[in-house]
Amino acid sequence: MKKMSNKVFQVFAWLWAVITLYPLIVTVFCSFKENNDIYGSMFALPKNWHFSNYKDALFSANMLRAIGNSLFLALGTTILVVVVALLASYTFARMKYKFLTPCFMLFMLGVMIPIHTTIIPISKIAADIGGYDRYWMLILTYTTFQLPQAIFLITGYIKGISKELDEAAVIDGCNMVQILFKIILPISKPIIATVSIISFVYAYSELVFSVILLSSPAKYPVSRSLMYFKGDFSVRMGPIFASIVLAVLPLTVIYLLFHEKVQEGMLAGSVKG
Amino acid sequence: MMKKNKKLIWSIAFILPALALLCVFLLYPVCQAVYLSFFKWTGIASAKPIFIGLDNYVKIFHSPNFWLSLRNSLLFMAGGFLVLMPLSFLLAKIITSKIMGVRFFKVSYYLPVMLPVAAVGLIWVYMLQPDWGLVNSLLEKIGLTSWAINWLGEKTVNVICIVLVNEWIFAGFNMLIFAAGLVSIPSDVYESAKIDGANKTKTLFYITLPLMKESFKVFSVLCVCGCLKTFDLVFTMTGGGPNHSSEVPATLLYMEAFGSKNFGRGNAIGVVILVLGLALSLGLNKILKSDD
Repeated sequence: MKKMSNKVFQVFAWLWAVITLYPLIVTVFCSFKENNDIYGSMFALPKNWHFSNYKDALFSANMLRAIGNSLFLALGTTILVVVVALLASYTFARMKYKFLTPCFMLFMLGVMIPIHTTIIPISKIAADIGGYDRYWMLILTYTTFQLPQAIFLITGYIKGISKELDEAAVIDGCNMVQILFKIILPISKPIIATVSIISFVYAYSELVFSVILLSSPAKYPVSRSLMYFKGDFSVRMGPIFASIVLAVLPLTVIYLLFHEKVQEGMLAGSVKG
Repeated sequence: MMKKNKKLIWSIAFILPALALLCVFLLYPVCQAVYLSFFKWTGIASAKPIFIGLDNYVKIFHSPNFWLSLRNSLLFMAGGFLVLMPLSFLLAKIITSKIMGVRFFKVSYYLPVMLPVAAVGLIWVYMLQPDWGLVNSLLEKIGLTSWAINWLGEKTVNVICIVLVNEWIFAGFNMLIFAAGLVSIPSDVYESAKIDGANKTKTLFYITLPLMKESFKVFSVLCVCGCLKTFDLVFTMTGGGPNHSSEVPATLLYMEAFGSKNFGRGNAIGVVILVLGLALSLGLNKILKSDD
């Protein structure tokens, strides 16, 4: 009886692994195929390996540029989120002014706001302040959406650091700014890594604001670029599949290298009670 | 005294950038969405918004597409509790067990969570393509040709397909929530249950599940609040079509505003999403807290 249930358990484990990975593997297969080879036998290995699909995806479909754009947006957002959130979180965690409590509540309200409500007003603001089709507008928007959560996480973490460290530093003659950079920052590295991962993944993949705020195709990040291919079944499919593979490659590599940290970080981001 | 003032100035300087961003790009837009939902506005800079009171709300509450989009959101929620919850729990059991290749399973199951939703959506559009897609070619191979339908072209079926793709993506994520709950149960509880003669089913229902209440709470909050935030997957897979059959509130908002140039009506939908979102997350938190 026990053996039987263990077998079922194991079979299901493999079944779900196949269900998860097979569509991704088929995508990789198709990225090396010609249309004739895709139609009707999508599931099979390529008969001839067309590596030129990748050349077309990178240069004709401009995926190289799109990936560069996405990495730039992701990096810019991540740096800005970490800097802005760290400064605010340190103040929220350590200072005792009365006006800080309502400010902190505002950020916690921000966690609950569905971002889609802001789509139309943000496109209007972009038009008003000349942010349309500009990266800084996107980066500021992405940063703002990540801030409430980042501040929540970092503030909680700093509150857990013993205040005696601060007091010892004060005796040694450190001021508030020095305490932040010499004491708090080095200890907070794990939570900063967590916040960075969440922000990076979000900004790399973001779709709706890049659809609304960008108009020149040269500026499109990956998700926006992939929308080009939507519903077009008449063209050469190989390079399209190659584009999808290229689009997911950077995050996949990061994930495979740091999967423990990534999983832990993204979990921390969701479980905020 | 000098020092105290300095500290105050630094404190203000430290929270100012965060506060400014929050106000300009989140709080102000929300207020603007509420305000503009009472106006008729085509989105053109030169055209002035015209005040029409509650007209936008009356229009959307009389629109069948709006109610259909809410029904579709409910399908997302139902799928979450009926499919995603048991599936993620089972996956959590797998990755916390001692079976062979547990690391491989954990890494694989989570992989879809990492990929851009737009890319995953596109992959599944091709997998579900009616003439040569993977799903239909496999169905034909095993002789079920009559099952091979146009998955994303039929009303309700297309929404169920998108919901299932959504579960395919997020099963790995919710698995971690349940796994965290599973590993936090001390092993001596299981040992004493064994001594008392509890079998596997009894252990599951009387020990494991009650002790994982926290995990189920977290899952419920994420699932209920998340179903209003669906956009990317629907947008990439069907764009809300055909004929608005797979629309969810967020895509409907997008179509009203940027498709039909009814920015006022779009904002009214945005306000409905906001109110429902806030009510659900506040209400749910209250219910789950009073539970303790």
